[in-house]
Amino acid sequence: MIRQYYASYWKESLRAFLFIFNREMRNVFRDEGVVMFLIIVPIFYPILYSLIYTTETIREVPVAVVDLSRTATSRDYLRRVDGTPDVQIVAYCANMEEAKEMVKRREAYGVVCVPREFADNINKGIQARVSLFCDMSGLLYYKAILVANTNVSLHLNAKVKVERAGNTTNEQDKVTIYPISYEEVNLYNPQGGMASFLLPAVLILILQQTLMLGVGMLAGTARENNRLHELIPVEKSHNGLLRIVFGKSAVYLLIYIAQSVIALGVIPRLFGFPQIGNPVTIAFFLVPFLLAITFFAMTLSALIRERENVMLICVFVSVPLLFVSGVSWPSAAIPQWLKVISWLFPSTFGINGFIHINSMGADLLEARHEWDALWVQAAVYFLTCCLTFRYKIIRARIITYNELKRERAMRKG
Amino acid sequence: MFNFLQLFKREFLRMAERPVYWFVMVIAPLGVYAFFVLLMQSGLPNNLPVGLVDLDGTSTTRNIARNLDAFQRTHIVANYANMGEARRAMQRGDIYAFFFIPKNTTEKANRQEQATVSFYVNYSYLIAASLTYQDLRMMSELASGAAARKVLFAKGATEDQAMAYLQPVVMDTHPINNPWLNYNVYLSNTIVPGMLLLFVALLTAYSVGTEIKDGTAQEWMHLAKGSIKRALWAKLVPQFTIFWLMGAIYVLLFYAVLHFPCHCGIPVMLGAMTMLVLAGQGLGLLFFGITPSLRMSMSLTSLWSVLSFSMCGMTFPVMAMHPAVQGLAVLFPLRHYFLIYVNCALNGFPWQYAFWNFLALLLFAAAPLLLLPRIKYSVLNYTYVS
Repeated sequence: MIRQYYASYWKESLRAFLFIFNREMRNVFRDEGVVMFLIIVPIFYPILYSLIYTTETIREVPVAVVDLSRTATSRDYLRRVDGTPDVQIVAYCANMEEAKEMVKRREAYGVVCVPREFADNINKGIQARVSLFCDMSGLLYYKAILVANTNVSLHLNAKVKVERAGNTTNEQDKVTIYPISYEEVNLYNPQGGMASFLLPAVLILILQQTLMLGVGMLAGTARENNRLHELIPVEKSHNGLLRIVFGKSAVYLLIYIAQSVIALGVIPRLFGFPQIGNPVTIAFFLVPFLLAITFFAMTLSALIRERENVMLICVFVSVPLLFVSGVSWPSAAIPQWLKVISWLFPSTFGINGFIHINSMGADLLEARHEWDALWVQAAVYFLTCCLTFRYKIIRARIITYNELKRERAMRKG
Repeated sequence: MFNFLQLFKREFLRMAERPVYWFVMVIAPLGVYAFFVLLMQSGLPNNLPVGLVDLDGTSTTRNIARNLDAFQRTHIVANYANMGEARRAMQRGDIYAFFFIPKNTTEKANRQEQATVSFYVNYSYLIAASLTYQDLRMMSELASGAAARKVLFAKGATEDQAMAYLQPVVMDTHPINNPWLNYNVYLSNTIVPGMLLLFVALLTAYSVGTEIKDGTAQEWMHLAKGSIKRALWAKLVPQFTIFWLMGAIYVLLFYAVLHFPCHCGIPVMLGAMTMLVLAGQGLGLLFFGITPSLRMSMSLTSLWSVLSFSMCGMTFPVMAMHPAVQGLAVLFPLRHYFLIYVNCALNGFPWQYAFWNFLALLLFAAAPLLLLPRIKYSVLNYTYVS
């Protein structure tokens, strides 16, 4: 008897689950706005961002030169600067005014000025100076010009030092140049590129934000469409709370498993971005992330009254979220209270964990902090999602009940 | 004239009655201003955590570490026993970089053999990496220089002679108009207007689209005596007023209160801001004209506006982008505003050098004029499908 009851209970639950699942799936694909955010954008945006940043770093920044020294040494210096991959000399100007005019016309992004006494000073054993003027509209211009000139000047320094030292062996020369030499190693992103740096964060953020927009829209539509402007209609199939939550979240999860494979796996592979993480580890890491963003989006969706409002509210949040995640701005420099707020969003942990695993080859143990936080978020947002849905169901029932009562009273009266 | 007043009043009432208008026009912009001001208060981050692996452990190497710690931007948070530990700390995100001193470094330096130290910087976090890299490289140069200088002083060289010997050529770097390399100046000046542009464009599409959705389009057109020009004018002027005020608050807050570089004077930036708001309204309306459904026009507007943060070329120069997307940059109003800002406020060049960018913003503002008949048709005939 009892077994029969449970068997029928499970059967009933499964049927309701499948019903809700099917209907939600149909809702997703019937609505052009939702298709746009859940299906098209998570594929199209990663490609677009990859195209924007795929060159990783800037090469051959146009630079104007004012060579007042006009000596073999200064020409040698400038030739070497021109020879670096970072900078290209586009003009030799007669004076600073001419060079400045080029910067104004945006034909050059910096000026290298070699003073009149440059070669004299070197020969006299006095420190010689080269002046750099950089357009500060982009830090990458500044960096390129600075790096090119620093490297060339260090090289020139070494040459001058060796000439003066009058050593006899190569080994002595080495010590003269650098008594203690150093090696610099760029880990995980050897060319210091923008794509390898920014893209993992952007991809994770795209997943979270599009899901939020899509689910918010679906919820808005549901509320606009049914009679009582409630999120969850009063129907027989909508009895069990868990059936609704699981039925809906299964749809989003299913779509986003596919989307995360495309966005985090296929597209970076196509563009050849660093992916040194173990795919299995990434998959394990994504489990709590996907759960967290799904329930997070569902909880928030309960607050959405009209479907279009979700865009007004959610879209602009993406930019601050990128900053508080500690990618665009070092997390060590973020005020503590902002950090605490950022812990509310799955993207904060998702971005850092994904970078640690995918870009830096960490295993789950190293990403433990983020992984734990995401599980906590998944659990908390699951609870809040259930609570808000429960509240909505009860409210819908009360309203329906009252309406039925009023109708009956009207019929009688 | 009476007619206009009535329409203005209707629009203001619509805005005042709906919380979402308050949110997008007042609360969110102010929140964004506050966010960026507070986030990058320091301008440049200080004391970024780095690690140290000192296998030598002599007083000389400890001295190097102490000096490194004294640098403004780096702070040594931990001493690791070996490379593996340091690497794992980096993978956990505890440190951005570490300095590695191998065994026998001091001994070699004393014997006049070349010793090698190294530093490892995690470029997955590019900004933090660039900042710590500067200090680590400087420290390495100094360590080397200090050793050589000691020898020179012993030979009787003066300070000037020693420096001229150690560094025959030095750089005199002038980061024009942002000598502090302040990140707040670099980022906020474009991101914040970009956010404002997003709000303006989205709300424009929203406010026209909701007329159809709420079924008030007929009434709206009726009040405007059937002229779409008049109807839009009456709708957009009140919104413009409020957004312009928010823009003016931004300009005054950043250039007058926080004293960000503004070499062209505040009125010119107010002018640029005015045109940015107009361009934003033009963009929103343009997308509404192209896809006259509330949801598609809003979706396109938001996708376009979010892309503009990358496409404006602020963080990653347009000239370095893939050729396939380079040409598209001119289609983003924020790109033109960015160039105007750089030309006028940052560099203080005459506005004529940014003439084409001003013109482009005007074109964005004027573009929907071409689609007016289409907008009128859709406002009168479309019904909202959910």
